[in-house]
Amino acid sequence: MTVTMTSSASDVVLRADALAKTFRIGFFRRRVEAVKNVSLEVRRGEIFGFLGPNGAGKTTTLKMLMGLIFPSAGRAEVLGLPVPSLSAKRRLGYLPESPYFYDYLTPEEFLDFIGALCALPAAERRRRADRLIERVGLDHARGRPLRKFSKGMLQRIGIAQALMADPELVILDEPMTGLDPLGRKEVRDLILELRREGKTIFFSTHILPDVEMTCDRVAIVIGGALRNVGPLGELLSARLLSTEIVLRAPDADPTLSRLLLPAGTRRFVSGDSGVGLELPEPVDVDAFLRAALDAGASVLSVSPRRESLEDLFVREAQASSSPPPDPVPAVRVAS
Amino acid sequence: MTGVGAGAAAIAAIARNTFREAARNKVLYSLLFFAILLIVSALALGELSLNEEVRMTRDLGLFGIDLFSVLIAIFVGVNLLYKELDLKTVYTILPKPIARWQFVVGKWLGMLVTLALQIVVMGLVLALVTVAQDAPIDAGMVKALWLLLVNVTVVTSVAILFSSFSSPFLSGFFSLGVFLVGRSVPDIRLVTARIGGSLGRAVDLASYAVPNLHLFYPSGAIIGARQVSIHGRFVGADYLAMATAYGVGYSLLVLGLAVWIFRRRDFV
Repeated sequence: MTVTMTSSASDVVLRADALAKTFRIGFFRRRVEAVKNVSLEVRRGEIFGFLGPNGAGKTTTLKMLMGLIFPSAGRAEVLGLPVPSLSAKRRLGYLPESPYFYDYLTPEEFLDFIGALCALPAAERRRRADRLIERVGLDHARGRPLRKFSKGMLQRIGIAQALMADPELVILDEPMTGLDPLGRKEVRDLILELRREGKTIFFSTHILPDVEMTCDRVAIVIGGALRNVGPLGELLSARLLSTEIVLRAPDADPTLSRLLLPAGTRRFVSGDSGVGLELPEPVDVDAFLRAALDAGASVLSVSPRRESLEDLFVREAQASSSPPPDPVPAVRVAS
Repeated sequence: MTGVGAGAAAIAAIARNTFREAARNKVLYSLLFFAILLIVSALALGELSLNEEVRMTRDLGLFGIDLFSVLIAIFVGVNLLYKELDLKTVYTILPKPIARWQFVVGKWLGMLVTLALQIVVMGLVLALVTVAQDAPIDAGMVKALWLLLVNVTVVTSVAILFSSFSSPFLSGFFSLGVFLVGRSVPDIRLVTARIGGSLGRAVDLASYAVPNLHLFYPSGAIIGARQVSIHGRFVGADYLAMATAYGVGYSLLVLGLAVWIFRRRDFV
């Protein structure tokens, strides 16, 4: 599959071209293909979700982009600069998965250290550290060594360090992991805020609702291979999958028995003490509702159900048992 | 700031952080405490000797500084890179605008500053003990301390090399082995000269791969047809320069090898 988009080459902030990584493990140097021929492009100002189940190759891909792992094949560029290179690293911020930092440092000391690595002057380091600590909600933890931080607090200071150099591209590996619902919402809001500031965000996750709420485009990687790339709206099928109808009837079973339920109808218990029916497509919803009303039922709700990201994810995961298309489709940009 | 300035700033930041980590490490304070205890105990042991209090203090003091500075160098050195990988802190640091060699050199420099400070503290305690015995502090003591600093520079570099590809236990074991063999290089060469033949030549050749750490603890050795002693005539400036050049040169070579290994690694 080829996804064609209209954007100029200068809009491309991150480009991975046929990245692959094969590890040799064990005494017999067994070959394990962790990443297979991954090509994608991330455009300026967008939030790009890199989706995949655990062990799909997301972190390995990100580590190749960060120069932590050397690709077995392929190449990558950040803002037109090859990675790994110091000039490319100066323009991006990175949060590793389940980050662990120097636990003897306080947040101020840690951010100052990161700022020094980015060659920021001392006064600027202090100013940015101060602002970022406040921005990620760690004001109350100033002066406290990182060893006393909870997992969520470490995630926040991790995001702060990724932003210390005021990068154009922010790469986050599983940024919502370990956060409670409130923390996840705060990180989502922060990601959206960063986009409003003109930054590009590329993040990996397996938490689908976060992707649906934030991402402009997604790439799905399964078994080390890229299965799909594109805007969510284009990837999700617009086709109606089923219609969920919730009825209330004084005597539910006799009422339902008078209705001619289409084959494959699924019953479920609705929270509002109604009876839920999921009618598979194709179905004449109008005719069904008329029949239900005639049978003495009242209609509480009618919800058409289209494909969700979870459906797409499951579909791709199931399809991955068959070999992926070869070569893996690249996102082509028409200039 | 870009280019050389940025690189130097990044190395300095890593060195500063390494020093700060050591400064907050309680184990190092324990080792320092025992070293100081050993030096101060020379006061009591000196009382047991007959008119040899100062000699006892100097010998025991320098032995303590040598022993504990090497132990600290090995203990911290073998963990220097391994800990960064084990705790995954390297995943946060290396994606920053810093080259891998700058990271290793920064860690090495931070470690050397830590060791230098420890030797200065232990040296000051030794000086105080010496003064307490109404004995003078001469240049020989300062030269001896300088040589011990060069000694731990070499040992630290060897420990970093091992830690770039091995576990702390094995690295510590190998580093200690290199230290013991390195201190015995003149004896090894003496033995190989007596053995002779191809075996003697092979062992003699192999001894050049090991750092000659005896150079940094010369008291009692015959150098230039005369015996040098910390209690009498110690080594001159030319020896000091030669030993320093050898130690720094060997350290840089070993550090270069550590960088070469570290640059090729995948941080999975």
